[in-house]
Amino acid sequence: MGDPPRYLRLMPWVGVAITLGLWQLVHVMEWISPVIFPGPLVVAQAGFLGIPVPRLLEHMAASLMRVSQGFLIGAALGITLGITAGWYRGIGNVLRAPIELLRPIPPLAWIPLAIIWLGLGEASKVLVIFFGAFFPIFTNTYKGMVNTDPILMKAGMALGLKGWRLMWQVAIPAASVDIALALRVGFTYSFGAMVAAELIAADSGLGYLIMNARDFGQIAVVIFGILMIGTLALIVDFALQFAIARRLRWMKFG
Amino acid sequence: MTRFTKPFIRRSDAGAWRPTDLSVQIVTVVVLLAAWEIASQLGYLKVYRFSRPSKLATTFVHLLTVGFPNNITVWVHIKATFLRIILGFLLACACAIPLGMLIGRVRVIERMVDPIVTFCRSIAVISLLPLAIAWFGVGELSRVLLIFYGCFWIILTNTIQGARYVDPVMIDAARALGCRGPGLFFQVIAPAALPRVFAGMKIAVGMAFMVIIAVEMIGTIEGLGALIQQARTFYNTSIAIDGMIFIALIGLGISYTLDRVERLLLPWNVKDAADDG
Repeated sequence: MGDPPRYLRLMPWVGVAITLGLWQLVHVMEWISPVIFPGPLVVAQAGFLGIPVPRLLEHMAASLMRVSQGFLIGAALGITLGITAGWYRGIGNVLRAPIELLRPIPPLAWIPLAIIWLGLGEASKVLVIFFGAFFPIFTNTYKGMVNTDPILMKAGMALGLKGWRLMWQVAIPAASVDIALALRVGFTYSFGAMVAAELIAADSGLGYLIMNARDFGQIAVVIFGILMIGTLALIVDFALQFAIARRLRWMKFG
Repeated sequence: MTRFTKPFIRRSDAGAWRPTDLSVQIVTVVVLLAAWEIASQLGYLKVYRFSRPSKLATTFVHLLTVGFPNNITVWVHIKATFLRIILGFLLACACAIPLGMLIGRVRVIERMVDPIVTFCRSIAVISLLPLAIAWFGVGELSRVLLIFYGCFWIILTNTIQGARYVDPVMIDAARALGCRGPGLFFQVIAPAALPRVFAGMKIAVGMAFMVIIAVEMIGTIEGLGALIQQARTFYNTSIAIDGMIFIALIGLGISYTLDRVERLLLPWNVKDAADDG
């Protein structure tokens, strides 16, 4: 296909400009009361000037800390157990039975039980975020391991690999594409779980910021917070994609 | 221990009798449930925090017949949750599919909306809850619109991709046979995009089901999310866990039904499902 023509390359910017322009127009013309529908400039002002920058960074850091704690534990456990379950049939059966039964429960449905078990503190939120990451990462890692191309395995064995080295040098690299996809899906779920947990009970983080702003009727701050949440999710997803593309260059990823 | 990768399954199956996968899994679950029950009976696990299987069973019947809270049976909760999902989902389909077809076929528009679609999709639906409450109140409208928002972007992106990546050879062939305008669209492009659209619809329903649970935890007493949230308020672990079981069962039911519908509507597209088995 090659590079798109120049005017097409400019179009994304045009699209963003039109969207922001329309938004500002609705605000200026006051088709909807500006109190409940603030314009983009008001939102930016409320966000960057209305909230002290260090406080804003604190909220972002709190959200990021939470989501990365839960996500990293979930990813580490999900990948380890997924690989073990995929390699050893007996362990796989024992592990998969309870996990497959719990998997259909959406991560957000764990919130009440997590609060009963661990209270309203940090631990219950991390647990919910953990569930968001763990289940998709475990199942996809397992699937990736089990679906390793038999020809690759036979080739590895013909070249004298067996046991651990066969797993480490053939099966796991073959499953790594599935694992990479699983990490991105898992992060999306973790992130959603983080926001929900912060909305329902928290005293810091971006979810708390918007819930708190709503209680005070500061719609501009609510919108700003939502845009921040979207931006944060987008940045992390791009970072994950970038890291994955670099690690898996040999697979001609993407 | 036998490896579980494909080439080894056949070899080990040819050998002496060994326990089947399913029997090992069933035994595992039974042992875990028994351990839970015994630990609870002996007092190692506090009933008020962890419940126990026997108590879950009686609570399950109680939820079906008497209900919680205020005599709202679980059927009422299920109906409320379903109604919200279906309304939001149908609304999203009605808007996203025509729009996605248009965007996917017109290159300039596709480029223009690309950053907006990417951004809107990456906003966690649940984060819109405070805004929806501020705009539309704590009523049904807010909940339905949140489901709509979440479904809309997923179906839209899938429809755009489906419409965009129609095999050009098919379009050229249809053109050569004299097909153009609306005929070309309805007979070639739309059917070719359909599997992708359906995939989007499936993802959207799954997402909607996840989001609605959290949305229902705020400002309502009807719905499965409300059920487990109420259970927490009353510190009733058994009802919370039974509620989660209901949620899981319904989630499984939805995805099973969608798979069947897909097989019925798109019989040429069941390759993935066959790979799993």
